[in-house]
Amino acid sequence: MDQQTLVSLSLILVTFAIYIGISFYHRAKATSDFYVASRGIPPMWNGMAIGGDWMSAASFIGMAGTVMLMGYDGLAYIMGWTGGYLLLTFLLAPQLRKYGRFTVPEFIGDRFDNNFARLIAALATIIISFTYLIGQLSGSGVVIGRLLSIPSWVGVLIGVFIIAIYATLGGMKGVTWTQVAQYLILITAYIIPIVFISLQVSGNPLPWLTYGSVVDELGAIDREIGLTEYFAPFDEGSRAQFIALLFTLMVGTAALPHVIVRFYTVSTMKAARWSGAWALLFIGILYLSAPAYAAFSRFTIMNDVVGEPLDELPGWTEPWVNTGLLEVAASGQQGVLTWQDLVIDPDIVVMATPEIANLGTFVIGLIAAGAMAAALSTAGGLLITVSSSFAHDIYYRLINPKASDRKRLKTGRIAIFTATIVAGLLALDPPGVITQIVAWAFAIAGGTFFPVLFLGVWWSRMNAKGAIAGMLGGLLTTLSYIFLAMNGFILFGIEDTGAGLFGVTVNFILVVLVSKLTEEPPQHLKEEAINLRYPEQMTYKDGEVWIDDSSEK
Amino acid sequence: MRKVEKEVADRYFKARVKLIVFLLAIGFSVSFGVVFFAQPIYESGLYMMDMPAHYYMAAQGAVATFIVLLFIKAFVNDWIDKKFGVNESRNEQISGGGHEH
Repeated sequence: MDQQTLVSLSLILVTFAIYIGISFYHRAKATSDFYVASRGIPPMWNGMAIGGDWMSAASFIGMAGTVMLMGYDGLAYIMGWTGGYLLLTFLLAPQLRKYGRFTVPEFIGDRFDNNFARLIAALATIIISFTYLIGQLSGSGVVIGRLLSIPSWVGVLIGVFIIAIYATLGGMKGVTWTQVAQYLILITAYIIPIVFISLQVSGNPLPWLTYGSVVDELGAIDREIGLTEYFAPFDEGSRAQFIALLFTLMVGTAALPHVIVRFYTVSTMKAARWSGAWALLFIGILYLSAPAYAAFSRFTIMNDVVGEPLDELPGWTEPWVNTGLLEVAASGQQGVLTWQDLVIDPDIVVMATPEIANLGTFVIGLIAAGAMAAALSTAGGLLITVSSSFAHDIYYRLINPKASDRKRLKTGRIAIFTATIVAGLLALDPPGVITQIVAWAFAIAGGTFFPVLFLGVWWSRMNAKGAIAGMLGGLLTTLSYIFLAMNGFILFGIEDTGAGLFGVTVNFILVVLVSKLTEEPPQHLKEEAINLRYPEQMTYKDGEVWIDDSSEK
Repeated sequence: MRKVEKEVADRYFKARVKLIVFLLAIGFSVSFGVVFFAQPIYESGLYMMDMPAHYYMAAQGAVATFIVLLFIKAFVNDWIDKKFGVNESRNEQISGGGHEH
């Protein structure tokens, strides 16, 4: 074990000890602790926890690499994953909070008073969270694989084991406070390398201000070696694909069950709005940094690596070649390495850049710990969601409504453990790169849930049949398009990652048509929907609005 | 419990919807709008913060705008609530622990 491995491993172990300490201190004692942290988390901290929950292995490990390799086209991820918070916080979160349930399937089941809708929503939630979880697990596999110089699939197995132990402990209350810690660790880890590289490149420590000229210079380098300019739009795809992907990611963000549930952990509609604003501020810090990371990384490789003699490859390449995520194809151009010779997996860029730029063992170790924090915090939130869909929505609400609190907690924990193992097995042979797998989860989430939640909250005329038709139609359309596009069937130049555009459209149309063509929903359900227009203090009943301004209960 | 005039309740709801539509329109133009015209902007050679303008908008401009919009929404919505006499501490009491099923 060399010095680097030791430093990285000890940093990871120290951060693990912190997380386990926190989740032990805040361990769940009741069901509401377990699922919604007793609804007492202040907005700013909740925002930070949302940030930790939200920023996954895809954001931390995958995104900068995707932007670096795809140039402008990769920026769809940056805008999509932040813009979704507008839709979520403006259109859904406060109303869902006022409705006051534990989970997304529970909202759908109760809002339309229909158990079949509840079941579909619970199954879709499990599918979405699983897809997303596979991305996280292959992410932690990349980290561990590199650290221990083992194939990344062995890394996946180790990652699964760690996550399973960790998530069964905490429940939502523990997870919320660990996520705050994980946010702080991952954001520090992400910012430090680019501050150093920014200093190296321009002498100014603020990467956000300095990388503009680097982007411009990258365009010039590309022109010189005969590539399309780094910042040229739609080089990797078409405008239609960019827009479809952007749409899919935004709508998916607003409809991901594990993100929505975070808004149940605050006290009121107002707190939900502020949580959303704080969350995007904290998330934005990383998303504004990723393009800088990408630009610096590409710049360093272009300047320090490309053009070096092939038989004297820099030391950082060997361990990465061993993990199978980097290939150096010797095209034999006078024995000199060219950009085209490097086959770089986007998932290694964030981890490899500090090594390439010689930032020292501590910074490299910090990145490893940050990447693990990102994968773990999201995996934690996802596992809670899978477990609540199963233990709360399916087991408690559908199978055994008389189950005791203790029995439900136990079912929840068993569900978490099983889910981790199954997702781990699936992640052994990931069907795409992290960013792509995660984009599918967004397509499925948006396609299944967004129209149903949006119309469910805003349109009182919507009924159970509309919800069921919309969810099934949206889910099927999205899944089939992903499958068809992977096998070469492409409509309007839109690839598998943009499948959400079709799913959402079909879902919207079905909800509206089927609701209109079938009977009106019962009066009390309509009133519950109209009631969501007003803050907690106001109640809509029998066509009248009442305000409760007494000071006592 | 006190009844709220229908006209007042509608005005409250409309004020919030108008705010949402207005802010979403801004968010939509800085993201989808700029992407739609990315090619002409790229060809025009326009620069922002030392980089091509279409790249800047996608990498920083749009995200920064989203953050600002969310805070504006939270502030203005609080102001609307206040104007209509909504009391947040009462909201907290009423929502309490939510429904326990």
